[in-house]
Amino acid sequence: MTKRKFNFLFVLVIIASLLVAIAPGAAQEKTDIEVWIAFVDFRLDWAVDVANKFNEAYPQYNVTIQEYTDYEPLLDAYTLAQEQGNPPEVIQLFEVGTQFALDSGWFRAVSEIVAGREEIGGQAVAFDDIVPVVSGYYTIGGDWSSVPWNTSTPIFYANTNLMEQAGVEAIPTTWQELEAACEQFQPLKEAGTIAGCITWPNHGWFYEQWLAQQNELLVNNGNGREGRPSEVNLTSDASVNIVQFHKDMYDKGYYVYSGVQRDWTGTVQSFSSQQVPFIMTSSASAGGITNSALETGFDVVTSRMVYDGEVGWTGNIIGGATMWITAQDDPAVEEGALAFLLYFNNTENAASWHAASGYVPIRDSAITLLENVAADNDLGWDIDNKTRNALPAGNWFELNPNFRTASDQLGESELTLATAGAVFGTFVETRNIVTQAIEDVMLLGLDPAERLAAAEAEANVLLGEYNQLYVE
Amino acid sequence: MTLAARPGWRRMIPKRWYAHLILITAVFLMGLPLFYAVIVSTQGNADVFAYRFTFGDQLERNWNVVMNVRGLGGYMVNSFVVSMGIMAAKAVLSLLAGLAFVYFRFPGKWLVFGFVLLTLMMPTEVMAIALFRIVSGLGWGDSYTGLIVPFMASATGVFLFRQHFSNIPAELSEAAQMDGANPLQFLFRVLIPISWNAIAALCVIQFLYAWNQYIWPLMIVQDRSKQVVQVGLRTLVAGVETGDSFGPIMLGAVIASIPPLVVFILLQKQFMSGFALTRDK
Amino acid sequence: MYMISPLIVVVLAALVGALVMAYHFQRRQALSLTLGAAVGAGAGVAGALLVMVPLNFCTFEAERQALDFIFGVVLIVIGMAIVLIAANWLVPRLVRRENLLAMADTQHGAFRAGVLPPLLFLLPTLGILGLFLYYPMFDTFRLSTLLARLGAPRSAFICLDNFTRLPADPTYMRSLMTSFSMAFAIVILALALSLLIAVMAYQPIRGARIYRTLLVWPYALSPVIAGIIFRLLFNPTAGVLNYVTGSLFGVRIPWLLDPGVAPWTIILASVWNIMGFNILFYIAGLQNVPSDLQEAAAIDGANAFQRFFRITFPLLSPITFFLVVTNTTYAFFDTFGLIDFLTGGGPVGSTTTLMYKVYELGIVNRDLGKAAAQSLVLFMIVIAVTVIQFRGSRERVTYGA
Repeated sequence: MTKRKFNFLFVLVIIASLLVAIAPGAAQEKTDIEVWIAFVDFRLDWAVDVANKFNEAYPQYNVTIQEYTDYEPLLDAYTLAQEQGNPPEVIQLFEVGTQFALDSGWFRAVSEIVAGREEIGGQAVAFDDIVPVVSGYYTIGGDWSSVPWNTSTPIFYANTNLMEQAGVEAIPTTWQELEAACEQFQPLKEAGTIAGCITWPNHGWFYEQWLAQQNELLVNNGNGREGRPSEVNLTSDASVNIVQFHKDMYDKGYYVYSGVQRDWTGTVQSFSSQQVPFIMTSSASAGGITNSALETGFDVVTSRMVYDGEVGWTGNIIGGATMWITAQDDPAVEEGALAFLLYFNNTENAASWHAASGYVPIRDSAITLLENVAADNDLGWDIDNKTRNALPAGNWFELNPNFRTASDQLGESELTLATAGAVFGTFVETRNIVTQAIEDVMLLGLDPAERLAAAEAEANVLLGEYNQLYVE
Repeated sequence: MTLAARPGWRRMIPKRWYAHLILITAVFLMGLPLFYAVIVSTQGNADVFAYRFTFGDQLERNWNVVMNVRGLGGYMVNSFVVSMGIMAAKAVLSLLAGLAFVYFRFPGKWLVFGFVLLTLMMPTEVMAIALFRIVSGLGWGDSYTGLIVPFMASATGVFLFRQHFSNIPAELSEAAQMDGANPLQFLFRVLIPISWNAIAALCVIQFLYAWNQYIWPLMIVQDRSKQVVQVGLRTLVAGVETGDSFGPIMLGAVIASIPPLVVFILLQKQFMSGFALTRDK
Repeated sequence: MYMISPLIVVVLAALVGALVMAYHFQRRQALSLTLGAAVGAGAGVAGALLVMVPLNFCTFEAERQALDFIFGVVLIVIGMAIVLIAANWLVPRLVRRENLLAMADTQHGAFRAGVLPPLLFLLPTLGILGLFLYYPMFDTFRLSTLLARLGAPRSAFICLDNFTRLPADPTYMRSLMTSFSMAFAIVILALALSLLIAVMAYQPIRGARIYRTLLVWPYALSPVIAGIIFRLLFNPTAGVLNYVTGSLFGVRIPWLLDPGVAPWTIILASVWNIMGFNILFYIAGLQNVPSDLQEAAAIDGANAFQRFFRITFPLLSPITFFLVVTNTTYAFFDTFGLIDFLTGGGPVGSTTTLMYKVYELGIVNRDLGKAAAQSLVLFMIVIAVTVIQFRGSRERVTYGA
């Protein structure tokens, strides 16, 4: 190319790029409802499919779904979008963000939009159909702030082929049984067949679950459910007990740590690649793990999250997220957003969502529907083609026992202030502090009680600062 | 330079095989990570977990995941527009500033120059949070404007052109003035045509800089239709959990690397001279 | 209630300023003692007020710690220094009636077009730099004195607490150490390896050009891409590196898991990422090393190593200095993307650099005030590192023939 030609091209490229940069956006006519969710896998595809069906049925709306990699980045992005003054109409917010969302003043309470009506935009409200564990967690004083969607609980997944190989007969239910089983896996580990006995993401969520199992509170004032809490309690016996368990499991070489906090991906990978025989992770992975085990060629059985057999089991807290509607100047947009969310979680969709993912069915009517799946149905999800298909007729739960564990675990939980879950404004940050403390104890060999005391001090400073800015 | 011009070297390093050995090792070690990434980008997870070091047969599937499912093409377009926008704006603004600094006399020039000079010491990253508040306040969140405008000025560019213009013989501008040309005519008809090397040098540096930006787009853009590829790759990485595997991630990484690699390899000389010019004062 | 009233602080500042300037004016500037004292007193007061009025003299409140007091005094000294230096430059010129805005440089071929056109040409650059670099910096100063959370309805002024709490914050001190040691390792390794490779590639051997191209390309890849690729290599489950070392030597290194190893993983990836840049510049530098010097040394009987360290390396020192500065900047700031994709700052914060921490604090934890304070400290560190390197290099750097 001659120099002159090069120069000419160069100028062209510059002009073209400037033109593209200032090109105006297209005009809009329908009511746009932007929904942010924290999934990038088949769960995103499922949600997009439902949104498309809604858009077809109600052409006055245009629902679009935008994906984020996880709950935390989604909330970060939403906070930034609020600062910028152009937030989306709906976001999926994880359970620990509840108090922060209420304090932020960014959202319109769902009960406020409903205002006693039974139908919004052609969709039945039917909140009394929501299963009790879910309504127990998310309603405060009987009012709904957000619409529940994905509800999960951590469960235990076992690779029965590896168990057979190691001579482990029963799936452990307690910490003590787990340690005994892990001891039996040690030869396989030494032979290099597996990397260790068990893994789970190092994530405060598991800590919170074990705290609830031992019926211990995370914050004062009845876990924040009897009044605004002023203190975080990380130094209780139950708390130290949990972190000591982590440390023991790690020190003995049973627990495989990927080295990354909140590593949902890496932990599932080590289980799917048969590097570990056991994993504890969200029930939402039931579908994914079962499928990839089928592909790789091993059997998976799910059971409940292990608990400390010396203390006993009170119950588990629900996890997952709900859908929050951004407060708008135009009530019509809020109503449209709510209409979509009610459609999104109607009986058929709630049933399909459970069958596709493993999240707990959040409506009683959805459970009934799944117990009696008709021959001609549209409840299944084809991951590869990203379309609905038909589930096998019959009782879904009997045909798929792995999908039952989560509902059982939650359903049999005793409802106490501990198992209802904590509510406070700095829950998100506190969860990160706990996660960090557990990592420090495992990797640096620190004393659990001492490290937790430091974490508690840090969490209390944050809570104090938060209360100073948000509460009078 | 030729061998004959430097007979000294010949005698000084008798064992050249040694140099070849070190260089081949270095090339091999440096190339290995990318080469393996290219291999994995054609594989499915089964191949990856089995550590097969040959090309797999999943390229089409991975391509489908990367382009159609995760929409990497859109991110690439955004990255391209933003990088080109920043590059072009920096070139134009720096040319104008260089012109003002070299071909004009005005009071307080040293102060103005110092004002520009100081910004070399201010990394944008450090001020990112305050910058975010300002750009958001202007309503430029989620837009090309917010990605481009804060980076349109370049102290590097101003120095480069100031240096370059200072070395151009004064007769050129005197002749132009005698012909009655105004400063802008002088810039476009005389300076720019003889400055293509310096302009290209600045453009290469700034293109790489803009294409590889990460923190700022991560903060200022929430709407994925405006997001750049460096941040867009995050959704690929997170997709591993259930559906996706390593293949699409690596394919995405490889695709996102092609534009800067091509620019850098083809325009190495310009890239270097850009840095070198701004360096020696 | 103040421990020391603002009035006393200001009077003290005036006294110190007067003493310094009186001395300085008489001895160095050959001006009168009284003028110096007067200017110094004024400048001292102005400097003290400059930093203390925005802070409302809060560091001298009775209920504050000793550390606040010290920080306050240091701030006043800095503020006074800035105003005194400016006054020291300005006043003598005013007294001698020099034109302050005159230009020292005699430009060739300047247009005689008045003031307006050049300012118009400069306006876009100055506007952008002012609005998007200077203004954010002042805003960062303001934020750093606040208890402020992203999205919170209120904020509260908390004096210098965001700074004074830093020395007692173990995670902050840890990331300070991490940043410095990682930057040190990256700079040393990247420079040493690049110099070795550049010296080899510079030799008159077959295929030198091909070698050069094959050695420099990783610099074009972004740190994000480097992070993704190295995550594939070091991944605990599918990591190919451990598979190879494990099956060949029976060694499996916990690349991302062990807090003692993970920083080295980041260092390795960073060195890989930036080495091409260094090699490029070292080869260019070697081309400027005069061969007659080498020959003379060879005749004097110096061996290859002696020649390299006595002649070539000193002649490369301007380039080495330039590379030290750019590599340090890379290590402090550009590694962010790499860390974000490779380790997420872990394990146990062993790869959390100062920049990563600022992002975590400001965006993830929404703690704007603390993040602003820490970014200012980071800013000052970068300036200090640059200045120290610049001063050090001025003494030792040999500017080639």
